[in-house]
Amino acid sequence: MLEVVDLSAGYLGEDIVHGVSFSVAEREVVVVIGSNGAGKTTLFRAVCGLMRATRGTVTFDGRSITGRRAHEVARRGLAYVPADRHLFPEMAVSENLDLGAYPRRPRRERRELVLDLFPRLAERHRQRAGTLSGGEQQMLTVGRALMSEPRLLLLDEPTTGLAPKLAAEAYAALAALRQHGLTILVAEQQVPLALQLGDRGYVLEDGRIQLAGTSAELEQDPEVQRAYLGVA
Amino acid sequence: MTAVALDGIVLGLQFGLLGVGLTLVYGLGGVLNLAHGQLAVLGAIVAALRMDAGASAVVAVLTGLAAAGTAALLLDLTLLRPVYRRRGEARVLLGLLLMLGVAFVIDGVLVWRYPIEALSLRIGGDPVDVLGVGMRTGSLLASAIAVGTGVALVVFFRFTTLGKAVRSVIQDEEGAQLCGVSPATVRALVLPLSGVLAALVAVTRSMTSPVTVNAGIDLTTLALIVAVVGGLGSVSGAFLAGVLLGIVNTVSAHYIGSYVTTIVLLGAAAVTIVLRPSGLLGVGRE
Repeated sequence: MLEVVDLSAGYLGEDIVHGVSFSVAEREVVVVIGSNGAGKTTLFRAVCGLMRATRGTVTFDGRSITGRRAHEVARRGLAYVPADRHLFPEMAVSENLDLGAYPRRPRRERRELVLDLFPRLAERHRQRAGTLSGGEQQMLTVGRALMSEPRLLLLDEPTTGLAPKLAAEAYAALAALRQHGLTILVAEQQVPLALQLGDRGYVLEDGRIQLAGTSAELEQDPEVQRAYLGVA
Repeated sequence: MTAVALDGIVLGLQFGLLGVGLTLVYGLGGVLNLAHGQLAVLGAIVAALRMDAGASAVVAVLTGLAAAGTAALLLDLTLLRPVYRRRGEARVLLGLLLMLGVAFVIDGVLVWRYPIEALSLRIGGDPVDVLGVGMRTGSLLASAIAVGTGVALVVFFRFTTLGKAVRSVIQDEEGAQLCGVSPATVRALVLPLSGVLAALVAVTRSMTSPVTVNAGIDLTTLALIVAVVGGLGSVSGAFLAGVLLGIVNTVSAHYIGSYVTTIVLLGAAAVTIVLRPSGLLGVGRE
């Protein structure tokens, strides 16, 4: 469903991601593991069109989206959930959700699905997004992305700033989405949670993919254990 | 006192309409349009020229509005393109400088080509009694247009999908893109809207006093003050600030003298910036 080939991207003429290739098949959950500054956010931003890749191609659903702008990519069904959220703080929760469906009108069933998944958002329907707690804002960001009925969901560190209990809840929600047949690509530092959910994973270090394998393989890998799973 | 207050509200509604166009463009792309008043005058002069050529007032006004809207759209599609490619302070600064240049160019060309041209719309009819004060028909029509436009704008931004898309770009451009909203399309819609609104102010103003070729700088300054006090990016804030400042203006002109009004208005803006840097109803920008 998503095919990234030899992608390089960066800021101010200096690449942060160097020739990365990976793929995500339909209905798969794929995890990108990496520490702070490994290039996960840059990689995702280049894939979803928020920044221009300096090299390489991105194919989504059989069609090239290389060099496409973010709003075009979003309309094709690839929804990106950034770690820094980018909600509309002065708008109500419901308005944030409605905009997720733009340019179409939000469908009732879809809204119900999102509110079932995150009941807290239903309670806070009329509240302005800027006044929500961090965890609620994270839910709203995912909810807004789901409103567009995407085929592929890209999540950048969905557990940033969340307490362990909320992080586990967030992953429970992602597991539920997976049951709905959604394809998911998630970048994470909370590696145990992510590998539990994911089918496969890639380890990104210094902007290059160092390791690839199934979740079970990665869990067993001594390097991954040492660097990300806290196993001595 | 009632008469002064009513005059203040009439004036304030014009102020509000003037501030809205500026505030939207700034909120949307970070461009502080220092040629806002000049676009208003451009529309007014085009309308005046059409009337000189024998067109009816309605046709002339519509042509004037269209001219200002088209000019704003052309600016958006050409000169402002490199501005939008920048982020943060660099964007604000470049936009500011470019639009200041545009203001000089429009001013210069108009004064050079049509030095004595002015738009003056005479609205006939006897004064109408409002709360015991005889109001000129021109003032009432101007206020009605301002209120009608203001209500239409608020409805558009609050209740329509497209209006919400515009607000989404104002509040978080990247978030808007992730929702499938194209900032470029939204800007190509709002820039002409702002130009038309600017020219509309010149038109309504000309119902009570002539709008001359060199009125641009005054209108731009007023628009800036209103937008800053109301909060850059807020439509209802601009109208609220407009009416407040209109009353302040008329009251100080009546009780102190018209020579102090500009100082009083700038003072009001300064106080607002100190007490509430984001304006009365401002949208916080990072």
